[in-house]
Amino acid sequence: MEKYGIGQPVRRKEDVRFLTGKGTYIDDISHDNLAHAVVLRSLHAHAKILKLDTSEAENMPGVLAIVTGKDWVREDFQPMPTKSAVNKKIDGTPLNQPPRHAIAIDRVRYVGEPVALIVAETVSQAQDAAEVVEVDYEELDAVTDQVKALEPGAPQIWDDIEGNFCLDFELGDKQGTDKAFEAADNVVTLELRNQCVTAVPIEPRGAIAGYDKGTGKYFLQNATQNVHANRGTFADVLKIPHEDLHHMAPDVGGGFGAKNSGYPEPSLLLYAAKKIGRPVKWIAERNESFAADTHGRDQASTIELALDKDGMFLGLRTKTVGNIGAYCWTVGPFTPTGGSARTQGGAYYFPAMYYSAIAAFTNTMPLDPYRGAGRPEGSFQIERIVELAARKLGFDPVELRRKNLMPADSLPRKTPMGLDVDSGNFPEVLERTLKMSDRDGFAKRVAESAKKGLRRGFAIAPYLECTGGSPKEFAGVKFAADGTLTLRVGSMSTGMGQETSMPQILAAKLGIDFEKISYVQGNTDATPLGGGHGGSRNMEVGGSAVLQAANEVIVKAKQIAAHLLNSNTDDMKLSEGMFTDVKTGQSVSMEDVVAASFEQSRLPDGMEAGALDTDTIYEREIISCPNGCHSAEVEVDPETGAIHVERMWVVDDFGTIINPMLADGQVMGGIAQGLGQALMEEIIYDEDSGQLVTGSLMDYALPRADSMPKMKMAFYEDAPTAKNPLGVKGSGEAGCCGAPPAIVNAVLDALKQDGVLHIEMPLTSEKVWRAISEAKGS
Amino acid sequence: MYEFEYHQPKSLEEAAKLFADADDPQYMAGGQTIIPVMKQRLAMPSDIIDIGAIAELKGITVEGDTLTIGAMTRHSEVAGSAEVRKSIPALSSLADHIGDPAVRNRGTLGGSIANNDPAADYPAALVALGATVHTATREIAAEDFFTAMFETALEEGEMIVKVTFPIPQRAAYEKFPNPASRYATAGVFVARTGDAVHVAVTGAAPCVYRAKDFEQALDNDFSPTALEEITISADGLNSDLHASAEYRANLIGVLARRAVAKAG
Amino acid sequence: MPVISLTVNGNPVTAEVEPRWLLSRLLRDHLGLTGTHVGCDTSQCGACVVHVDGKPVKSCAMLAAQSDGMEITTIEGLADKGKLHPMQEAFRDHHALQCGFCTPGMVMMSVALAQEQPDLDEAAVCKGLEGNLCRCTGYQNIIKAVMAGAKAMRD
Repeated sequence: MEKYGIGQPVRRKEDVRFLTGKGTYIDDISHDNLAHAVVLRSLHAHAKILKLDTSEAENMPGVLAIVTGKDWVREDFQPMPTKSAVNKKIDGTPLNQPPRHAIAIDRVRYVGEPVALIVAETVSQAQDAAEVVEVDYEELDAVTDQVKALEPGAPQIWDDIEGNFCLDFELGDKQGTDKAFEAADNVVTLELRNQCVTAVPIEPRGAIAGYDKGTGKYFLQNATQNVHANRGTFADVLKIPHEDLHHMAPDVGGGFGAKNSGYPEPSLLLYAAKKIGRPVKWIAERNESFAADTHGRDQASTIELALDKDGMFLGLRTKTVGNIGAYCWTVGPFTPTGGSARTQGGAYYFPAMYYSAIAAFTNTMPLDPYRGAGRPEGSFQIERIVELAARKLGFDPVELRRKNLMPADSLPRKTPMGLDVDSGNFPEVLERTLKMSDRDGFAKRVAESAKKGLRRGFAIAPYLECTGGSPKEFAGVKFAADGTLTLRVGSMSTGMGQETSMPQILAAKLGIDFEKISYVQGNTDATPLGGGHGGSRNMEVGGSAVLQAANEVIVKAKQIAAHLLNSNTDDMKLSEGMFTDVKTGQSVSMEDVVAASFEQSRLPDGMEAGALDTDTIYEREIISCPNGCHSAEVEVDPETGAIHVERMWVVDDFGTIINPMLADGQVMGGIAQGLGQALMEEIIYDEDSGQLVTGSLMDYALPRADSMPKMKMAFYEDAPTAKNPLGVKGSGEAGCCGAPPAIVNAVLDALKQDGVLHIEMPLTSEKVWRAISEAKGS
Repeated sequence: MYEFEYHQPKSLEEAAKLFADADDPQYMAGGQTIIPVMKQRLAMPSDIIDIGAIAELKGITVEGDTLTIGAMTRHSEVAGSAEVRKSIPALSSLADHIGDPAVRNRGTLGGSIANNDPAADYPAALVALGATVHTATREIAAEDFFTAMFETALEEGEMIVKVTFPIPQRAAYEKFPNPASRYATAGVFVARTGDAVHVAVTGAAPCVYRAKDFEQALDNDFSPTALEEITISADGLNSDLHASAEYRANLIGVLARRAVAKAG
Repeated sequence: MPVISLTVNGNPVTAEVEPRWLLSRLLRDHLGLTGTHVGCDTSQCGACVVHVDGKPVKSCAMLAAQSDGMEITTIEGLADKGKLHPMQEAFRDHHALQCGFCTPGMVMMSVALAQEQPDLDEAAVCKGLEGNLCRCTGYQNIIKAVMAGAKAMRD
């Protein structure tokens, strides 16, 4: 018998559907009279469109419509402005923001930019027609590297934006930090790149749009993480009232941030659907995904750490140039600026910090949040500079960390970056991680590796990150007379399991059978607002909304229970699904109360049938701070440079754990993506042509089953946050913060004897081999 | 995919006739390369001639000191064959590491060598083992068969029927897989057959080739240490996204030593 | 257009197929078996794995016309009258799926691995899943599930 309380590893409801092939993903949906679309995309990184002739394509068999930039100009459709929370330069003027249209008007600025949408009876017919659309380009010089884009004489991506400069940004105390550096005994500096990667959810993006002539309303079924915000984006493009667009997400096959954005294709599809009076479907091919799914990370940073002679940290200074691609995408400029600044310095105590950044335009697919969106970058920066400081100055890396972590009694504390760290015990989390890591057996394992000609290394990486995303969330509970109920929430799962964990909260609080609760998400008609998923907000904001709804239900249910028992409402106590009068000992079950709520005769005055139905909106005031510690043990083959991560140990402080099985899953998934970034993943554009080089899974490497270490996880649950009623801190992105530095530092520890101090991610076997060879040579 | 006509002949003669009669025909064996290529519209044959139903292209036999494998024999069949494991375990192991289990259930020996992908595994085995490629009309020594990147000695319409492998005293294959595609970034097959040692390298250059200086060194002393002093030039090796020529040169040395050690 | 006859999940099927249709397309679009997913175009992801005459095959790398006379099993054909197959059950017990998109291919490959090597170990599972990508789980729970599912299939 399964238990459904908070903290129980409840097996997932949605699994039965997914395991039997009954999931309904976007490409599984069909409609009567469905037409199919393909997107003709730019083959050039930067070019003027001299001529775009669709006349031959329009006459191809099966072709129903072709949408181009000319339609967009004629219809005066609107660009999609960025929602970046950082939207001003340091001097207070607005960021430089070019218009981002859903389709190229007269110039293309990255490979993969939509040039035309071809709609036909079948996909093959649309592909055939796309091949005969005549586009004459005049190629222009391109730049795909953000540092080069800022150099004088770099190709200009936007005529009216000088120097490809989007905005600059600073946070912290510059003067105080400069002073700390002047007074420091030691300063360690590191230049590093957090390379460009992409999320690669296994389900490619796709959407179906439709238009009802009778009502004048549109629908959009979309593999998205965020139906409400994107409905607004698409409706604004088409200049229609938001409520005229019904936006739905079916089962979504992974998102990781890449399905959060307001992409161009949905608006094109909506327009085409209205034009031809038929629903239109578009499903991305995988090569299209690499070119036209948002990319992530891509920051070039200089990090400086000031220490006194005992190794105490005095100050941290970071300067970053972030690539945002050819446009300000949905929140693109935020990631390298505010998104990376907040958690600078990680879990360490810094008297002074200063972060500055520039976001630059390049001829690449624009960047938007990817799992962590700035926090993994910050975490990697601090852990790499600390490791380097230990190596250069002769400190034990564990000891150096131990002495600089924020002491438990220093909390609550506002960091110099303004991050409100209210709860946690970073030293204890580090010690527990070390204890799990079998340090006593390490020497023996090193010797065993050496016998095989391999090097073994270890590293530990504490991390501190924060949540994000929309602060508001809706939860609605609707009871049916048969005792079942429906829970509607505006946050959403693209695989994380909220179909299970949200009802789990409701069932636990109300004492109602978990199996009776059905769950609705990802539907603009079902909830008046919703923040979708992003910033590890699902449990923190969505879960809190569910808890709030449960509490509001209970307030009303107590009144009914008291009425049924002829008791005072204040005397009613709810425990395990029973309302008991603390004075008389009489009780009535929640089930009875629910049944009574549908009979007017059994309700107190002022209540009407269905009185228990509850809609509520929860609003988060302050973001929470998930934290924890990863450690990694790796084996390196010095002859080939090949790395295998052998073991990882993780202790996470996510506050209250609702479902440990699902939280473990989040951590392991995050580790896999962190491992991918550390060792193998990279989006590469050809420097000269701006062509995308890693355009398929033949060239963009993803971790496989045999890439992964044995992972052991534990939770530190003694420090729930008071920032939300559940006490949760968000678990979705933490793995991406801890794993890359733990793995990279462990590799460098393995290569200590070779004198290797730094290798840029991804640590491919060739880079490792070269680093060893070069260290040998020097 | 573009449109094409599909045929499934039952005999070599029927296949040859279909090929001769078509505008721009293409034989298809396991389809694990040509289907993805066609899906991406990178090839547009008028006719696909699926040779999967031709009985005489199948089967594995050992007679005397020769192992014979039919062209349409799937990688999983080679990997799972007791005859192959007994006669040339290195070949069995090589087949067991091509692609993944699903690809191995479709991909074939003949399809692989006819395609001559520079990063494929089989070409190294054929060259190092001194195998012979049998077509309907002639026999071609493996070394003469693989002529250049994606090119072979096959004439237009000529079909591989089977490959015969002399059984070596010892042999081993080592590859360093590309992390994305898992094709060979470099692969080295070492074999001692009769008095001769052959070392074939795949993945590293535009086409499989024999590493003659390795062979000479191993002729005198079949041990990894015999190879240690030999420097491998990066000249002529592939340089791409996944590995530079210098790195491939290093891998060839490492893999060759490991293959020799494995061959025992 | 070629007309083919085959068996899909135990049911005889006759279909007229275009030569360029992939087996995955026949299953998904023509037979409505949308549990078989397509996640890439280069045969890397494995979401489309089905059993063809009992062996795991990538249905996006095989023409529908090639399946004439063959027996196909898809994810929809695995559960027996509503009772989950032991491998499906093991995936659920071990939280070996999150978004569920890679899951059908992952489960079909795992069932085949367990059938071929009833006593498979972790290394064999990893090798067997070389052509199946998952972006959500980090694989550890999948490996555990395959071992447990294989054991349940033996018992």
